[in-house]
Amino acid sequence: MSSQHPLWQNLFKHKEDRTSQVTEMWMDTPLFDKITRRECRDLVKTMHPRHYKKGELVFNSGDIGASIVLIRSGGIEIKAADKLLAELVAGDFFGEVALIIDEPRTADAIACEDSELIFFLRSDLKEWIKRSPKSGAQFMLNIATVLAARLRHTNILLSMQNS
Amino acid sequence: MFQTLIKHPLSRTLFVFSMICSVLILFAILLAPLLIPIIISFALYALLEPISEIFERHGLSRNASSLSVLLILVAVGAVCVSLLLPHLSAQLSTLQAQLPVVWQSITTMGNDFSRHITTSLSLDMQSSGITQHFFNQVDSWGKAALIEGSNMLISLSVLLVLVPIFTFFLVRDFRTFRNNLLDKLPNSSFEMGWLIYYRVAHQLQEYIRGIMIQSAIMCVITTIGFYILGFESPFLLGLVAGVLNLIPYVGPLLAMVLPMLLALGHTPVEFWMVGAAVSVILVAQLIDNVIVIPAVIANAVNLHPLVVIVGIIVFGNLFGFIGMVVAIPVISTMNIIYYGLYQGIKTRYNLNQKNHNS
Repeated sequence: MSSQHPLWQNLFKHKEDRTSQVTEMWMDTPLFDKITRRECRDLVKTMHPRHYKKGELVFNSGDIGASIVLIRSGGIEIKAADKLLAELVAGDFFGEVALIIDEPRTADAIACEDSELIFFLRSDLKEWIKRSPKSGAQFMLNIATVLAARLRHTNILLSMQNS
Repeated sequence: MFQTLIKHPLSRTLFVFSMICSVLILFAILLAPLLIPIIISFALYALLEPISEIFERHGLSRNASSLSVLLILVAVGAVCVSLLLPHLSAQLSTLQAQLPVVWQSITTMGNDFSRHITTSLSLDMQSSGITQHFFNQVDSWGKAALIEGSNMLISLSVLLVLVPIFTFFLVRDFRTFRNNLLDKLPNSSFEMGWLIYYRVAHQLQEYIRGIMIQSAIMCVITTIGFYILGFESPFLLGLVAGVLNLIPYVGPLLAMVLPMLLALGHTPVEFWMVGAAVSVILVAQLIDNVIVIPAVIANAVNLHPLVVIVGIIVFGNLFGFIGMVVAIPVISTMNIIYYGLYQGIKTRYNLNQKNHNS
């Protein structure tokens, strides 16, 4: 009876919609390559959605970082020494280095419009790795691939600048 | 000047830290009657959470895995009680029968010793007065211990009911409760809050698991030692040594008292037995320090030994035996929270200063 009640139905539908949407967004990133949709969905349920107003600081360079962030809606500017490095939109992710090492953030992230961000914490990743070691290892491999690709891209940029 | 002092990271950290401590103390006062079952349930949660994770990994839902963990806990508890209780009560009866003899023997020894001192040094020590005072003091401690013991027996029945219930709900719902609570943090301190929580939880889990394994190993080693020496209640003495091992540094010293008294109670007194009883504890400590601690408990808490000893004495004075057991995890938790807060607040302060200057 309760599941047919419109109020309950809408409540569940809203939550389900969000989980499904965030799952699809993560699945579209290279981080969840070769990881099943079901596992990604279970993981999404442990993630933390947060809302930011336009102009609000997500993190500062030097802040303690503990998570990777997916933009569900809105937009984020990544800056270092007041220089704009990137403009990110819904579906993009940032701060992946903090998922691996316990070091301060290296850039500033500021919401350039009202945004909803999904935080995937290092502690949740560690718990997931304990629960599903195979998928956890695959995720770590994917993140290493992303970081290696960014390093390669930076190296090419530097060599182009020098030449 | 005053503005600078208020904005300084140290004063801000101290303010936030004091607020956190006040809230924790308030909760501790409100939950005082349930504090012991809650502490035991958290310790069991730290032990059983990995088992629940294994069940979940094999496809069981959170509810089913929590229920399975509860059933395991009840089954293990029932087996332990049914197997150990008869032995324990028999050994307790033996000990009870032995105590008057031990007492008599120690009294005679004490009187002989004071007579020997009086005659050999030609001193009028008013030995009877001193001895009387000493025995009166010991008598009052003994009575207090007996009353506390009977109170503990009443509490034990409450614990047997409450602990499994609390543990079940902790295994099932603690993660959700924790997430809801930490998600209430403002955006600016969300990540810092999670980081501090994770460090505290990780260190506490390591410590609780380590100390429990360590105590069980100590219990086994000392039981075997006392059995080889021919003590009449080896398991009981081993159990006492294992439980007292929960208190770092001070526990092993306290664990020596009962076997030493029992060894002294033999008539005629065999001093090699006293030495052997102390040796059992020392050998167990040696094995503990060389093998067990590096393997299971190393780096679980990173506190200076002096802080540990002072903490145990202060907490013991305030909250008795339970205070001595929880002293280290509480101090360690406070240490992590303080330094985590300080690190976060200082980073923000430095950035604000930099922005202000530029």
